Amino acid sequence: MTATTETAAPAAAPQRRAWWRGNLDLLVNPAVVVVGLGLVALYASTVDFDSVARRALNPAGLRRQTIEHLVLTGVSTLIVIVIAVPLGVALSRDAVGRSRGAVLAVGGFLQALPPLGVVVLIGFWLGFEPSSMILALVLASLLPVLTNTVVGLRQVDDAMIEAARGMGMTAWRTLLGVELPLAIPVMMAGIRVALVLNVGTATFGAFIGAGGLGVPLFSMLKLFRLDAVLVIASLVAALALLVDWFGAIVERLVAGRAS
Amino acid sequence: MSEAVDSVSVDEGRGGGPRTMISLQQVSKTYPKAEAPAVRELTMDVPEGDIVMLIGPSGCGKTTTLKMMNRLIEPTGGRIVLDGDDVTDVNADELRRRIGYVIQQVGLFPHLTIAANIAVVPKMLGWDRNRTAKRVDELLHLVGMEPGQYRDRYPRQLSGGQAQRVGVARGLAADPPLMLMDEPFGAIDPITRERLQDEFAGLQQQVRKTICFVTHDLTEAVKLGDKIAVFGPGGTLEQYDTPDEVLTRPANEFVAEFVGSGAAVRRLSLLELARLELDEVVISTGGAPAGNHPVVALDDAGRPERWLSVPGTDQPPPLVTVPLTGTVYDAVDVMLDAGVPLVAVVDGDGESRGALRWQTLIGDLRAKRRRP
Repeated sequence: MTATTETAAPAAAPQRRAWWRGNLDLLVNPAVVVVGLGLVALYASTVDFDSVARRALNPAGLRRQTIEHLVLTGVSTLIVIVIAVPLGVALSRDAVGRSRGAVLAVGGFLQALPPLGVVVLIGFWLGFEPSSMILALVLASLLPVLTNTVVGLRQVDDAMIEAARGMGMTAWRTLLGVELPLAIPVMMAGIRVALVLNVGTATFGAFIGAGGLGVPLFSMLKLFRLDAVLVIASLVAALALLVDWFGAIVERLVAGRAS
Repeated sequence: MSEAVDSVSVDEGRGGGPRTMISLQQVSKTYPKAEAPAVRELTMDVPEGDIVMLIGPSGCGKTTTLKMMNRLIEPTGGRIVLDGDDVTDVNADELRRRIGYVIQQVGLFPHLTIAANIAVVPKMLGWDRNRTAKRVDELLHLVGMEPGQYRDRYPRQLSGGQAQRVGVARGLAADPPLMLMDEPFGAIDPITRERLQDEFAGLQQQVRKTICFVTHDLTEAVKLGDKIAVFGPGGTLEQYDTPDEVLTRPANEFVAEFVGSGAAVRRLSLLELARLELDEVVISTGGAPAGNHPVVALDDAGRPERWLSVPGTDQPPPLVTVPLTGTVYDAVDVMLDAGVPLVAVVDGDGESRGALRWQTLIGDLRAKRRRP
């Protein structure tokens, strides 16, 4: 093929442009968090908390509960990834055929159970401790990661796979080198859903002694200290946003070159 | 590409017939649960350095046949011999690394740069970084894309035609002796497709690969193919011959119908004047009849000006010309338009290179040897 006059594709993005330039949108999320927490802090400074509320809002306690909350969320999400990604890969294979629907239906059933009920039941069954809570979180957030892994892999253009196999890539190499990288955006979306879901659900840890921000939240709710509830609920919301933000950054780092 | 050209020209002794690159021996494919086989006991030898076009109606097994050559589809019967080795039972992944593969949807990996896409097979073969990088640049040059400009781009930044060029470059990456192409230009707009076909023909002149090429476009098959394999319903090979033979002497009813009633006319637009034995023209300043040849007078610049005499006519007809780069179809068009029984063929400088006469056209139209 000799000289070509074909019009070049639209000017290529500069090859080594600053990474942050293409990712300015990632600043929106923390900005919302900072502004939101700032407003809450401003509001809280106008409120005269009584001693009960003040005990619940003491910084050292909140810090500890935030860390507990993050551990519950992080560990359960990691376990979900470890279970759901390989399972999703297996389910995405053509050979699986009909059982794919059955497994996804079970996942859907688990997802549909009311989390609070599951938390309490598992608490009674396995004891009131963080590990029970982690199990409950895993069950509640398995589905989005599983479905998105299956969907992400199934939507990879067959032409890619045929090209890969046709050039002599093994099935394994095609999975690792072509299918998974192309499925990453969809899979990461599922993982982010699981993360955010877990931040919310982890508040129920308070009911089975698993700690977390649910402890002060529900006690303040019970004691009708609504100003304190507002502050703690804002913290949970901020945590969810930040965790999602973290997921977005990981997604960019993993899949950045593909999109 | 010097490697490829050398290695081929060494093997291909001028006298001895070409070697067989890939040979299908009674290869069959019956899909599970299908009643009839998709391909039925197919035997076919592809000579080294030739482009073989597999063509036929949909469902005729042409793509199945192509994919059995690199065992993307496992044959259910028969043997496949690649370059002397029986590859029916060897490791399919390793086999495929020895065979270039280009598909219609191109299948460039969107998460890899152009360079990384082209380097897929060399990487699997364990080439070192320098050799791979050199090869990538070489191939980008070969397909007419400036390496410095395109190497680090991503597939989404390419036009359809450019992507297909990269697809071809990727197929050529490890310099495989055999290339399989599955309707590589099928999804491209007609204008770009035609240019890609021309480029591809030029490319093949340089690399001289053995190529099996699936198409559903008869024009493409005739244009690019050294041989055409016409498949019929039920996965049988109806005719396997040169384009001229397939068009002028279809082996059976099916092929005749497939190439269509317009085959004779279609063939005209595929015959380039440059490839034909043209009628001789006598250039004269006098005016004496010269035996059986038409006599033409030249103008001051040495270009044909008018016929002085044309055998079989009392009054020489007006002179019309067609360029040597045209086809017989163009020549016929000009003749009909001017109402003349012959047309002068001129080269780029306007100098006479011969004539094409109506008599010759309906009589004995002879092509020069296709690949001198």
